[in-house]
Amino acid sequence: MLFNSLSFVIFLPIVVVLYFLLPQKYRWILLLAASYFFYMSWNVAYVGLIVASTLIDYYMGVLMERRQDKKSRRPFLIVSLCANLGLLFFFKYFNFAAENLNLLFGNDASNSIPVMNLLLPVGISFYTFQTLSYSIDVYFGRQKAERHLGYFALYVSFFPQLVAGPIERFSRLAPQLKEFHSFSYANLSNGLRLILYGLFVKMVIADNLSMYVDQIYAEPSAYPRLDILNGIFFYSFQIYSDFYGYSLIAIGSAQLMGIQLMDNFKTPYLARNIAEFWQRWHISLSTWFRDYLYYPLGGNRVKKIKWILNIIVVFVVSGIWHGANWTFVIWGALFGLMYLLENAVNNLFGLQKINRSNTLKHLVFAFKTFVFVSLIWVFFRSQSLEEALHIFSLLWKETDEISQALAIPMHVWVLLFLFVLSDLFLYNKRFDTTLQKFPWVLRWSVYAILIFCIIVFAGVAHLPFIYFQF
Amino acid sequence: MTKIILSKIVVIFMILVLSNWIYTRWFFEADLQEHAEIINLVLAIPADSDILYLGESSNNTFRGDDMDKRPISAFLGDFYPDLKINDITQHAAHAGIYKVLLNHIPTTNKARTIVVTLNLRSFNAQWIYSDLETALQKSLVLLKPYPPLFNRFLLSFKAYDIKTEKERQEQYRRKWRQDIFRLPFDFPFKNVSEWDAYIWKNGFTNPDGTPNDELKELVCHYIKAYAFQIDTLTNPRIKDFDEIVALAQDRNWNIVFNLLAENTEKAQEIVGDELIFMMNENAKLLEEYYSKKGVVVVNNLNAVGDDEFIDQHWTTEHYAENGRKTIARELAESLKIWHGNLYHEVALETKFKTSFFNDCDNNIPWGQTHTISTEKAFSGSKSSRIGAGEAYSITMEYPLKKIPDSLKHSLHVELLFYQKATVSEALLVVEALGDDFENYWVGFPLNDSVSEVNNWAKFEKSLVIPEHIKSANVIKVYVYNPSKHILYVDDFRITLNPF
Repeated sequence: MLFNSLSFVIFLPIVVVLYFLLPQKYRWILLLAASYFFYMSWNVAYVGLIVASTLIDYYMGVLMERRQDKKSRRPFLIVSLCANLGLLFFFKYFNFAAENLNLLFGNDASNSIPVMNLLLPVGISFYTFQTLSYSIDVYFGRQKAERHLGYFALYVSFFPQLVAGPIERFSRLAPQLKEFHSFSYANLSNGLRLILYGLFVKMVIADNLSMYVDQIYAEPSAYPRLDILNGIFFYSFQIYSDFYGYSLIAIGSAQLMGIQLMDNFKTPYLARNIAEFWQRWHISLSTWFRDYLYYPLGGNRVKKIKWILNIIVVFVVSGIWHGANWTFVIWGALFGLMYLLENAVNNLFGLQKINRSNTLKHLVFAFKTFVFVSLIWVFFRSQSLEEALHIFSLLWKETDEISQALAIPMHVWVLLFLFVLSDLFLYNKRFDTTLQKFPWVLRWSVYAILIFCIIVFAGVAHLPFIYFQF
Repeated sequence: MTKIILSKIVVIFMILVLSNWIYTRWFFEADLQEHAEIINLVLAIPADSDILYLGESSNNTFRGDDMDKRPISAFLGDFYPDLKINDITQHAAHAGIYKVLLNHIPTTNKARTIVVTLNLRSFNAQWIYSDLETALQKSLVLLKPYPPLFNRFLLSFKAYDIKTEKERQEQYRRKWRQDIFRLPFDFPFKNVSEWDAYIWKNGFTNPDGTPNDELKELVCHYIKAYAFQIDTLTNPRIKDFDEIVALAQDRNWNIVFNLLAENTEKAQEIVGDELIFMMNENAKLLEEYYSKKGVVVVNNLNAVGDDEFIDQHWTTEHYAENGRKTIARELAESLKIWHGNLYHEVALETKFKTSFFNDCDNNIPWGQTHTISTEKAFSGSKSSRIGAGEAYSITMEYPLKKIPDSLKHSLHVELLFYQKATVSEALLVVEALGDDFENYWVGFPLNDSVSEVNNWAKFEKSLVIPEHIKSANVIKVYVYNPSKHILYVDDFRITLNPF
C-alpha cells in the first residue's frame, strides 16, 4: 500500500477516525493491527520477520535490564545484534557477499557459494536499525526496557514510518504512542498540509522527473551531453523529492493522530558544504550513524588519522546500508572523501567563517555543494560501476551513437522551478507552520494549486518510493 | 469546530468543481490522447455506420503469402456492399475492453448491429490474469463514467489493477490448481496443473517413439489454454459480456457474438478427446447462455482447419486468408435476420494482382502500418515515418509465386519521400523468401538519383525479377532507414510488368 495510492487514501482516514473513537487503552491494538495490515499489503510472509525481530528485542531488552552490569548484559545485546544484523545480512547482503567471494576465489559452478532467489523485505533496513538503537540504549542504561509487548511491537511497526523512516528512537516515539491524544484541529490541519505537500512533491515532481532520468540511464550513449547533464541533475531532484515527499506524508499521517515524528529533511540542497548537507539530508539516519557508530568509534576526539578513518568508515557503512552493490560503497566513500577535502580546504582558507547573512555567497556555496552531490548521486543511481563511469565518460566526450533527445515539456520545467522556489522559501522552516501564518486567501490558493497539480500533473507510471528498496 | 470543518469541506468542494471545469476545458483531451489512446478507435468510427465489428488481432492479422490481406470485417462487407461496416480492432482486447469502448460510442452513431468477438481462450486463467492487463486497465481509467477530474484522480492514485508479472503468474497458477475438472468420464488428472505436469514430466513422443520436446511444449500450452470449464457465476468474462448484452438492450442494438475458431484439429491430434470435449462444452455453454439472452451467437469453434492457422506453434486465433473468409461468411449468414434484404452472395475468390498502391490514408493492409503518421503527407494527411529506431517503412508483401510467370518479368517502384537532411543510409529494398532458394535481398539508395531536402522527392526504380525468385512465397518491398534521421515515405506504388 503506497502512500500515493487510492488504498492509502481510504485506509488512513479510517484508521484516524477509529483512533479518536476508541478509548485510549485500545488504541495501541488498533494501531498495531493497522500497521501489520499495512505491512502485509506488500507481502504477507514477511510480517513474520517483524514479529521475530520484535520478540527478540523485546525479551533481550527485558533480560538486559534485569542485569546490573554491562558485562552480564552483553550476551543479550549480542543476541539482539546478531538477530537484527543477521536478518539484514541474509536478506540484503548474502547474495552480494556470495557473488564477490565466488569472484575472489575464482569459484566455478561446482564449488561456488549458491546465490539465492530472495525478495528484499520492504523496510527491513529501517526497522532493524530502529530496534537496534533500542537494544543498544537499554544495554548502556540510557533507556528503560519496555515491559508492554504490544507497545513495543507498535514502536517497531508504526505504519507511517515503518517502511522508510524516519528512524525513530524509542525514547521519542514510545511515550507518544502511550500518551492520550485528544482530537486537535491544529494537528489535523498541519498533518493534512504536510500530506498535501508531500503528495505534490512525490507525485508531481519526483514521478515526472523519473521518466526522463530513466530514459537517460537506460541508454546514456544515445543522448547528447546536455541531456545527460539534465538527467544527472534531474535525478538529484527526483531522489530528494521522492524521499522528502514520503517523509512529509509519514510525518503528516502521524501528526493527524497527535504523534510527532522527527523531521527527516531540511532543504538539503541549500547546504553550503557536505557536512551541512548530511545535517539536512535523511537526518534520522545520519544522526543514527552519529550516535551509534561515529561516537562509539571516538568521533573527533581522537588523533587526526583515526578521525579521518572514522569519517570514511561511517560514510562507507552508510553507503552499504543503502544497498548491496559496489556503487553504494563508492557513493559512501566519495561523500567521506569530499567531506574530508572540504574540511581541509575550509580550514586552510578559513571558509567556515563565511558570513551567514550573505545570501549571494550562501547560494554560490550551496550551488557548489549541489553540483558535487549530484555527481556523486550518479553512483547511487547506476546499476554498476561501469555504468556510472560510462556516464561520466559521456560527459567528457560524446559518442557518435547519439540518436535521441530528451523532450521535456514546459510544464515539467515550470513545476520544477516552483519546487526550487518553495525550497528556497522554506529554508529552515516547516511547510505546515509556515503556511499556517499565511492570510487565508493565500493559504487556500496554495491548497487549490497543490490539489490541482496533484490530480492533473501527477506522473501516471507506477513508481514505488525509491527508499522502499533499501 | 464542526462548523469550521464543514465550511472548509464546502471550500474544498468548490475548488474541486472549479478544477474539474479547468481540467475538462484545457487538459482532458491531451490526457486522453496520452493515457487513453484507445478512445481514438471509437472516435474514428463514422457516425453513419450500420454495423460495428469489435475484435482483437484475430480480425486483421495477415501473412505474407495471403493474396488478400483484408480483415474479417472487410470480408463481411463484401456480403453487404450497401451497408457501412466499420471495425474497432485492439490487440489483446477482451470483453472488459469492448464493454468500455461500446459505452463510449456516441448515441448519435447510427450503427444498429454490433458484432463482438467472443474468444473462448479469453475465458482461461492465463488470459484473465495476463500481464497485459495492467496496461490495458490503465488505458481505461480516464474513460470511466465519472467526471474527468475524478478519473484523472483515479489515474494519478493508480486506482487500477496493478500487479507485477510474478504476481499475475501466481494468480493463474493458483487458478490452475484450484479449478477441479468435473467430467462425465474418468480422467486421471484433477486439474490443469496435474495434467500439465504429467505431460511435462513424461514428455511427448513421435510415432517412432523418439521424444519431441517442441511438441511437448505445444501440448502443455494447449492444455493451459483450453483445459477449463466456464463457471457462469464466477468467470469475470461472463460478467463483462453480460454488461455488453445489457448495454445493447439499452441502446437497442442488434447484438452478435462471434465465437472465434480455435485450432481444434491440432488440439485433437496432439492432446486428445478430453480437451476437445472441454472446448466444445464451453462453446456450447456460451452459445446457450447468450442465446437465451437474445444474442445471436455464431459458433465458429470448429469452422477453420489446421492449415489456416498462421501460428502453428501457438494457440493464437490468427487466421490465413481462407480462415478469415470462412468466419466472415458464417457471420454474414447470421446477419441475414436483420439485414437479409441487403445480403449479396459472393464467392470471395481472390484474383492475383500485379499493381499495388498505398497512400497511407486508406487502411491498406500492408506490413508496418504502425509507422503511419500524420506529421507529413504528400497526398492525403498521412505518410510512413521511419528512422531513429524504426527502420522499416510500410511494406508490401505478396505471394509472388501466385502470379503467372508471363506477367512478372520486371518490377517497377515509385514513391515519394521527404527528408530534412540527406539520409545516405536510406534504401529501397526488394526482398524475397522462398523454399527453394536462399533469401534474396537487394537495396537501392534513395538518394543516388535524387537528393532533395525539405521537400517531397520522387524516387523510381525498375528491376528485372531474377528467374530463381519467381517461385517466392513472399516478395517484400519497403524502404529501410537505419539512421537516426527521420524520413517520410508516401504514395508507394509497385507494379509488376510482363516486359
